[in-house]
Amino acid sequence: MLVRPFLEWLANTTFSAYLRESPWAYPIVETVHVLTLCLFLGFTMLLDLRLLGIALERTAASEATRRLEPWILLGFVLMLLSGGLLFASDPIGFSQNVFLRIKLDIILLGGLNVWIYHVTVYGSVADWDRKRTTPWGAKAVAICSLVFWAGIVAMGRAIAYVPANLRGRP
Amino acid sequence: MRDAAWLFPFVETVHLLALGLLGGTVLIVDLRLFGAVLRQEPVSRLARDVEPWVIGGLAAMLLSGLPLFCSEALKMYTNGAFRLKMILLALALVYTFTVRRIVVLDDKPTSPMRGRMAALVSLALWSGVGLCGRAIGFLGT
Repeated sequence: MLVRPFLEWLANTTFSAYLRESPWAYPIVETVHVLTLCLFLGFTMLLDLRLLGIALERTAASEATRRLEPWILLGFVLMLLSGGLLFASDPIGFSQNVFLRIKLDIILLGGLNVWIYHVTVYGSVADWDRKRTTPWGAKAVAICSLVFWAGIVAMGRAIAYVPANLRGRP
Repeated sequence: MRDAAWLFPFVETVHLLALGLLGGTVLIVDLRLFGAVLRQEPVSRLARDVEPWVIGGLAAMLLSGLPLFCSEALKMYTNGAFRLKMILLALALVYTFTVRRIVVLDDKPTSPMRGRMAALVSLALWSGVGLCGRAIGFLGT
């Protein structure tokens, strides 16, 4: 496996050391990571609630999907970049953190769920676009999404509580 | 609550999920005021449709924030970031449910500039609340 040497190399870069030792870098990146939740998670929840038929009922489902997804993607990229920087501050510690592993696994499930939405129910969106009651497939995707992202946030919070990673304060 | 290892992170998780909902529903209307999202939708209709979720998110935020505060009430009382957060929160709440509400629920908006100003103030106030919230933990030690 080439993972371990890579993590060691990363940990020894001045970049990683800077993220670790600067009093400001880590808190700033963490703040970006947390506040981007409003964009990423907030818009994801709105779309999920639309698919459940309980929010934005007067907006067509296809409209909500097409208009919100670019923002969700932007939020996800910001999440990934800021999360990557947090990881880079302590690559070896974080790579051994069980909650981060679970979090990444659920993120994969979340991605799979989006893909399933697009190849299944979204294909027939014209049939239910303006209806208040959405098909069960759309509801299932929305509930999975909400459950996954709640789990991801919980795991994200738990990462900071693993003693090996305690950086002064969770 | 200080003694149960899992309880504090659990309530924090609820607080963060509520942040997503409240922040997201405020943000979408602010971005709409800038003409950046859901352009074909009238502002007033969007604002009306998300309003119950803004209030739901806010309620979840306050209900989860209260136990977090109670578990460390004495520490919070002297925490500068917490105090500033409460002041900004009060301002943001008053602003959101008075000035901003009048602007966004206006069925015949007079000028896009008015909407943009309203969105800018909203973003500034709520960002301030969020930033101070994050700073509470950093100043806590």
